[in-house]
Amino acid sequence: MKFPMKGVIMQQPKEIFVKIDRCVGCRSCTMACAVEHSESKTLFGAISETPIPKSRVYVEWVAPDKKVPLVCRNCDEAPCMSACISGAITKNDEGILITDMDKCIGCWTCVMVCPYGVIGRHLETHKAYRCDRCPDRDIPACVEACPTKALVYDTVESYSASMRKHASIEITRSDRE
Amino acid sequence: MEDYYQYVIVGASAAGMAAAHTIRQCDHEVSIGIFTDEMDAPYFRPLIPFLVSGKKKAADMSMIGSGPYVEKNITINTGMRVIGLNISQKQIVLTDRSTVSWDKLLLATGSHPYMPKNIDGLFTSGVFALRTLSDARQMAKYVEQTKHAIMLGGGILNLKTAFALLEKGLNVTLVVYSPEVLSQLMEPEDAFLIRKALDKAGLKIITGVNAKAVLSEKGKVKGIMLDNGSELPCQMVCIGKGVRANVNFLADSGISVNKGIIADKYAACNLPDVFTAGDVAVTYDPVSGAPMMTALWTNAVEMGRCAGKNMVGIKTIYSGTFGILNATHVADEPFVSMGTVHTNSVDYEVYRYHKNNSYRKLVFSPDGKQLIGAVFVGNIQNAGLYRYVIREKMNINHLKQNLIDHSLHYGHLLK
Repeated sequence: MKFPMKGVIMQQPKEIFVKIDRCVGCRSCTMACAVEHSESKTLFGAISETPIPKSRVYVEWVAPDKKVPLVCRNCDEAPCMSACISGAITKNDEGILITDMDKCIGCWTCVMVCPYGVIGRHLETHKAYRCDRCPDRDIPACVEACPTKALVYDTVESYSASMRKHASIEITRSDRE
Repeated sequence: MEDYYQYVIVGASAAGMAAAHTIRQCDHEVSIGIFTDEMDAPYFRPLIPFLVSGKKKAADMSMIGSGPYVEKNITINTGMRVIGLNISQKQIVLTDRSTVSWDKLLLATGSHPYMPKNIDGLFTSGVFALRTLSDARQMAKYVEQTKHAIMLGGGILNLKTAFALLEKGLNVTLVVYSPEVLSQLMEPEDAFLIRKALDKAGLKIITGVNAKAVLSEKGKVKGIMLDNGSELPCQMVCIGKGVRANVNFLADSGISVNKGIIADKYAACNLPDVFTAGDVAVTYDPVSGAPMMTALWTNAVEMGRCAGKNMVGIKTIYSGTFGILNATHVADEPFVSMGTVHTNSVDYEVYRYHKNNSYRKLVFSPDGKQLIGAVFVGNIQNAGLYRYVIREKMNINHLKQNLIDHSLHYGHLLK
């Protein structure tokens, strides 16, 4: 599942890539995300906060037994940004979609148009929320927390190079066998 | 003021602004001029009820610099009404008969409130039809001399406005001719949770009646007379009976008009280099091919973007039209309505589910092979995926149970 956005800036932006075959469904990512988006930024602090902090990454399950981590893809022509009736959603210089909480009126139009289903509704604050790529961190909390490296934070160029390398190793190995 | 722009856009709301920004994103050099008869710079029209409630100021609603509307060098000429076209000269004509030339023209003039002919006395002080920021300012002022407001029409605009007035401490009565509120967006049985929430919020609702006349005293509203003969005293009346396209300026222009401006699938008009988008445009239902007009912000932006691309020469088919595509939150009850949701006349396959505080209706084609519409009340999670399934006319065999159970997620759509 790779939907990298085209870079509009000189420096290659990093994306969160998902290696579905590596996900074991432990949900460490969702926990880390909720903690990162809490007031206290600690697990024990987070669970006692009101409103309870929300994760912006989701792990879904598909029969027979596939786990699918999902996070905002920061679409090139983002439907949420165009559809928003209050101008709350902008794309920053790094190509990341940001929801301005002061402008969001909780009309849920973005929820209605997001084809990935990764925009959540915060019922207590009546605002829409989504992945913000952890602006205070070098590596997003979900990526850092993933014990199987199913989530990868990398540039498109470097990630595809690693995929090519991996594929060539597999090919030479099967040749030898 | 310049007398020539490469791209001239008439109308500075959703469709016009979206087109201008799309053109600018494709080409940094071309000149773009937008003309609007409103005095205000472009603003998010759906927010104007917040001006009435006082929750937002006009400055907080500005489109310029907000959301996707961040491009530079787009000239916006406010307070300039276009009264005609001179197609052979490639010019628009303004009120003072001055002209502005263009290479490519977009007609995105939007719509105006429909004022029912069968209600007498609509042009009385205290009668409002909320459409522009200027309307909202006047209404906000009039609230001071109002104790009881009567809203004619049970659509989203009137509901939002009703809540703005309730928040100002007014008594508000909604008079709806249909059997239930939101009849354009759902069937009466789909709306019962919303109705319950509206009743609880203190909105008084009368259904199945129409207003016959606005009663006045010294030029000001003092009540309305209903078609059942009863009279209700009030100081303010709000008309929310739908909209009509702004096409009067096109008489004798050669532009093909039938209620709205006829657009082809590339958002182009019948004459070369003229395009149209938004409320004013007549598009086609992607399934039945029937002509349709939608007064929806979301559609207008999408069509405006499409028109912008076609205007710069990137051939793009407009496929986004949903007759119904609404998400809103009224009286603490979120709901989404999209696609085909009126199911009484055709033999659709329909699933309804109601538990506690949530309701959903999924509408499938008569053969059950396609999802064509959905209503969610209460729990609207992942509504975007349902929209995607409807829009892409997906083969839903393997997904059908997930659709019906409201358990669909993106993992199901992966190959």
